[in-house]
Amino acid sequence: MTETTKPRAPFAPWDRRELPGLFTVEETARRVGNYKWAEMRLFEVLGGWVATVPELDVKLVLGRHTYHHAWHAELWHKRLPELREMNPDRLTLPPNDAFVTFMDGIREPEAPGDTIEKLVGVYRVLIPRFIGVYTYHLNGTSTITDAPTIRSLKFALQDEFDDWRDGEMLLQSLIDTPEKVERAGRRQVELERLYLASGGIAGPGSLGEPV
Amino acid sequence: MKRMLPESELARDERFVRTKIEDRLFDPRGPKVAQRNTGPARMGVDRPAAGERSRSLMHGIFVGEIQALEGAGRTCYDFDDETAPFQLKLDMARQCWDESRHCEISVKLGDHMGTEIGEYTESTFLFAAACNPDPVLRLCGVNRALEGLAIDVFSSMKDFGNESGDPILEFCEDWMLADEVTHVKMGSDWLRRLTDTDPERRERALEFQRTVDAIFNLGGFRGEDDENPIQLARNFRRLAGFTEDENDSLAALARESTEQAREMAEAATAALDASAQGS
Repeated sequence: MTETTKPRAPFAPWDRRELPGLFTVEETARRVGNYKWAEMRLFEVLGGWVATVPELDVKLVLGRHTYHHAWHAELWHKRLPELREMNPDRLTLPPNDAFVTFMDGIREPEAPGDTIEKLVGVYRVLIPRFIGVYTYHLNGTSTITDAPTIRSLKFALQDEFDDWRDGEMLLQSLIDTPEKVERAGRRQVELERLYLASGGIAGPGSLGEPV
Repeated sequence: MKRMLPESELARDERFVRTKIEDRLFDPRGPKVAQRNTGPARMGVDRPAAGERSRSLMHGIFVGEIQALEGAGRTCYDFDDETAPFQLKLDMARQCWDESRHCEISVKLGDHMGTEIGEYTESTFLFAAACNPDPVLRLCGVNRALEGLAIDVFSSMKDFGNESGDPILEFCEDWMLADEVTHVKMGSDWLRRLTDTDPERRERALEFQRTVDAIFNLGGFRGEDDENPIQLARNFRRLAGFTEDENDSLAALARESTEQAREMAEAATAALDASAQGS
């Protein structure tokens, strides 16, 4: 028979979670609001592009990814009231005007011949930054007090990695001439400059660099 | 990227051949085809043209799914956060994923049934309904009228799969049918929520829905008789939230369209006969 009264430690020997984390409740809410804003702008443009890309495989992948990013936005929307922000719209904001300029740059291409430009912006610039900022948050936050954010970050990160791979493989199959290599490179440099000026998805300090 | 993309700008590769609805309606070969007594239009396994009809319909479903995907995607993008609430956009994003899967299913079913992309033409009037500048009208036209039609189409195709002994077709249509019921519910829900305090806007939206419904009843395409290739799926429509009154009025509209089509065919046949006697 199992001995029911024998005391056991509240944390199993292999559970190494710790209390302190890098972010206060307020700082977490601010970052989560930035994530939601960026995920919203991303899913909207992915949806809008579906009708503008002639490549059938790209069209269907964009349709699938539209939902992934909408779902991330919804996760962050639901997390905000749990971080004492009862009006989630109040914190659903870009970190600064430079980040708005960057997102406008991502969303700019429209013509059917611009598929490479569209995909480079999302899959070679923005999504790798999501992976970076989410990973930084995941590694830095309190593993006990902020467990709900960690759970959402892990779900979102799984999608980001999968979507990045889908997009990167589409790009590799579309970039089939030296001219297209140049085009993709130019586009990436242009957007990375804009991103740099913004400081990141959560503004300066997105990856913990000194502000 | 601009907001509001006209249907003429839908991007396609070279396999797709686009036609206008009026080209189909006023095809000069139509009256001659109507003269042939080919029996009931309802898809039956005992009909010699059943295979061809089902392949053509499958291709129509495929291009319809592409446009539904594009329409849902544009609704995510075309409106600012005030005009279209965040939750509505989330629903549309979910619909994008669903329609994307439906495209994948339809392509594979097309292969399975022996047709290929571009074998039949594409009309873009489904997307045209998704271009309405009012999100409520757009959702009524797309999610209630067109997704309602999709319920009828998938139900008819599912029955055809069952009757013809094609479990793959029946299986896939049943899955798509489940998604369409969800999409209609979304449309009904948003119609109620966004027009709760604006009965005039609600009536405009319902009128737009009736117009779209009428277009898709054209020529007796949908109804409850053997003359209609697509059968009104009352049970599934009920699941999706359509009331019995709504189903009855749609059936009446369908009968009216079938009757008009019959009168047009008779008039065309008479004109052809007269012309033949004169020559």
